[in-house]
Amino acid sequence: MQIDVALFAYLSKFQPDGASGRGARAFDVPDGATVGDVIEMLELPDEPRVVFVNSKHATDDSVLSPGDRLAIFPPVAGG
Amino acid sequence: MVRPDANTCPPALEPTDDPALRARLAASHVAIIGCGGLGSNAALMLVRSGVGRLTLVDFDVVEVGNLNRQMFFRDQIGCPKAEALAETLRRVAPDVELAIVHECMTPDNLLATVQDADVVIEAVDRAEAKAMIANVLCTEAPDLPLVSASGLAGVAPANEVVTERVGEHFYLVGDCRSDVRDGLPLLASRVMVAAAHQAHAAIRILLGYEEP
Repeated sequence: MQIDVALFAYLSKFQPDGASGRGARAFDVPDGATVGDVIEMLELPDEPRVVFVNSKHATDDSVLSPGDRLAIFPPVAGG
Repeated sequence: MVRPDANTCPPALEPTDDPALRARLAASHVAIIGCGGLGSNAALMLVRSGVGRLTLVDFDVVEVGNLNRQMFFRDQIGCPKAEALAETLRRVAPDVELAIVHECMTPDNLLATVQDADVVIEAVDRAEAKAMIANVLCTEAPDLPLVSASGLAGVAPANEVVTERVGEHFYLVGDCRSDVRDGLPLLASRVMVAAAHQAHAAIRILLGYEEP
């Protein structure tokens, strides 16, 4: 199935198509894939992150559906 | 309604002001987690804008190194930040209602501390704490608007600091990349741009505006 993936901040260098920028892009994943499966497929570093699926907060075990928009945001330090 | 005298009152109270807007902000409650560069400056902007109630959360004390960007003064060095900030806010608005929480937020005490607020501003410095606050509040209080900040260090253009609505009730302020862990300095000018974005995002949420 196909989902859209948006990777924020320094995660943008892990975009599935290898192109720069953090804009959402299509990504093929197995049916029934979870957020954690996608994180593993993209080989994202194990750093603090916040995940949204279709603008709703999600966790690594959230199961994805075709057409879902997955957004992964790693907080950046400073305040 | 009695109009204030335009010759004597500050601009925010001029007769052209919107009483309904003022009433709504006066009845509003914003919780600010972290009273450092972001939180102290955002708090002052919210109070100047007429927000009637704040919860100020910080476990730290004022240090001399904070004075380059945080809303504190030399005679407050050594004071708990939330208390020092409350003192300054009351100098501007004596009637503002303030709750002071001198504690470190954890997954166990976070929700109870901020759940009465209409909007929460995340203004801490460590990435791990930012993620914890977002993950706990988005899970346990998904309808509570949260304005987080990420990417405000360094000397990159101020125009790269933006407000985005990333989740249904999750707003993200910053350039999403300028990290103090990369050795970038925290300059008052850019920190205050981000703080202003956070304060203004909170005000827009309180007034019922929705970002795209």
